[in-house]
Amino acid sequence: MKSAASAASVVPMSTPEAPAGQPATPEPDSRREAIIELSHTGVTFETRKGNDLVALDDFNLTIYREEIVSLVGPSGCGKSTVLRILAGLQKPTTGDFWIGGGKTRQGFSEVAIVFQRPTLLPWRNVLDNVLYPARVLKGRADKDDRDRARALLALVGLEEMADRMPHELSGGMQQRASIARSLILDPKILLMDEPFGALDALTREDLQLDLLEIHERTRKTILLVTHSISEAVLLSDRVAVMSARPGRLQDLITVDIPKPRGPDSTARPDFHTYSQRIRDDIFGPRTKRDRAQ
Amino acid sequence: MTPALRKIILPVATFLAFLGVWQFLSYAMEIPIYLLPSPVDIFHGGTRLGMTMLTNTGETLKTILIGFACACLVGIPLGVLVSVNRTVSEMIYPLIVFLNAIPIIAIAPILVVIFGTDMTTRLIIVTLTCFFPIMVATASGILDTPSEMLDLARVAGASTMTEILTVRLPHAVTFIFSGLRIGVTVAVVGAVVAEFVNANKGLGFLVTSSTAQFAIPTATACVVMLAIVSVLLYEAVNWIHRGFFGWSIKSNVGD
Repeated sequence: MKSAASAASVVPMSTPEAPAGQPATPEPDSRREAIIELSHTGVTFETRKGNDLVALDDFNLTIYREEIVSLVGPSGCGKSTVLRILAGLQKPTTGDFWIGGGKTRQGFSEVAIVFQRPTLLPWRNVLDNVLYPARVLKGRADKDDRDRARALLALVGLEEMADRMPHELSGGMQQRASIARSLILDPKILLMDEPFGALDALTREDLQLDLLEIHERTRKTILLVTHSISEAVLLSDRVAVMSARPGRLQDLITVDIPKPRGPDSTARPDFHTYSQRIRDDIFGPRTKRDRAQ
Repeated sequence: MTPALRKIILPVATFLAFLGVWQFLSYAMEIPIYLLPSPVDIFHGGTRLGMTMLTNTGETLKTILIGFACACLVGIPLGVLVSVNRTVSEMIYPLIVFLNAIPIIAIAPILVVIFGTDMTTRLIIVTLTCFFPIMVATASGILDTPSEMLDLARVAGASTMTEILTVRLPHAVTFIFSGLRIGVTVAVVGAVVAEFVNANKGLGFLVTSSTAQFAIPTATACVVMLAIVSVLLYEAVNWIHRGFFGWSIKSNVGD
């Protein structure tokens, strides 16, 4: 992360702009500008037997510029569905959603995504993988794109690996490369679907801290789906706890742990208060009683 | 002995031993040359032909390669089409399966009547024989593309065409090459069938004409030559795969 400062200069901050056709934001706070809004959004799948499966029901959430919001909840609570709706991979069956800049997609320049697995293309080297979204959108990558890609690789600590093939990298390095790829077109919003879920515990911790640092430098709006309560508390400004079947928003917790956060943040007493509240939200009082025995 | 050396020496030694036993048995049991020629007889049968053997091999090779190229040009795009577009798939896949179900040896004489006795007919026969494995392999490769890669392409804003070119086709390369490996060996069979029914040159023609004259060693020599051509073409496909698409080879499968 040595040359992170130089990287930040080529990754300009999102310039605030007045979004057109934006519904009135529920929060009166004028400093906070909504960038994502989901209102009464629902998704119903039809199973093969013809039954309806409600993956997401009447989901409301407003996300503001530059904040990190985590979605946590048990399996099947529709957190990935929320992400897929915002990524344009899934159409809501009911309700509506709005993303700063409108509903038309301009690839990674608007909404970028990091998957649980790195999903690097094995036939391209690391640099070309980072450039992939630029190639798709513009047909080719010019010198500016290449420079930016190299700067981003430096930002995630992979400047030496630009010419390697993906299979030569460790799992953690591959996921770093995929984070660099998500930032190549300076997106307004970064969606992360359990980005550290497939990594070992040490690499995971390392990447969490890196993500905090990347967020400090780039000020991206990040929506993060995670299974890890401590990860949610450590990284997020707000944690949205969801319940399963049907997927609903159960609790919305503002995490007031001071920034910049680091490994020390996890030792704070309020860190555990937040974690416990999320745990209670998810497991309910019954599990708490079980645990007390 | 290094593993690489073992891989060459062991099969070669086995093969030489096999030839030796064969030669010894033909000599010891006095098997007539028109029933089963010995390896030495076959070698002489081949050398007796001299340059004729080489020119005819060249003819057959030409038929195989052009026919194989046609099969690639038809098979790969068709494989992409039937796997990407459902309507197209439902429309033409059953017809293609039916077409492939027709025994090529049975239809070959009919094709000669329809298209005449020139190169075109031979190429049609070769193409018909070998496009199917290429098409099916391409289709499986396209359909095998991991959904996360497709999601990536979609979020990046890729059109269907871009998605095919940047994600689906490269992913399918391994599959396509297994199709090509089968296809190229089947193409040799197709070329021989074509020359059986319609040719005055080529190894297939030499086999029929020498058999008709009971020149069994010559015919057998031509068959050996066909086998060599087949193996070399198979290796050539492997070589292209390794040379140009090395990233798609994870282990030594197909080596």
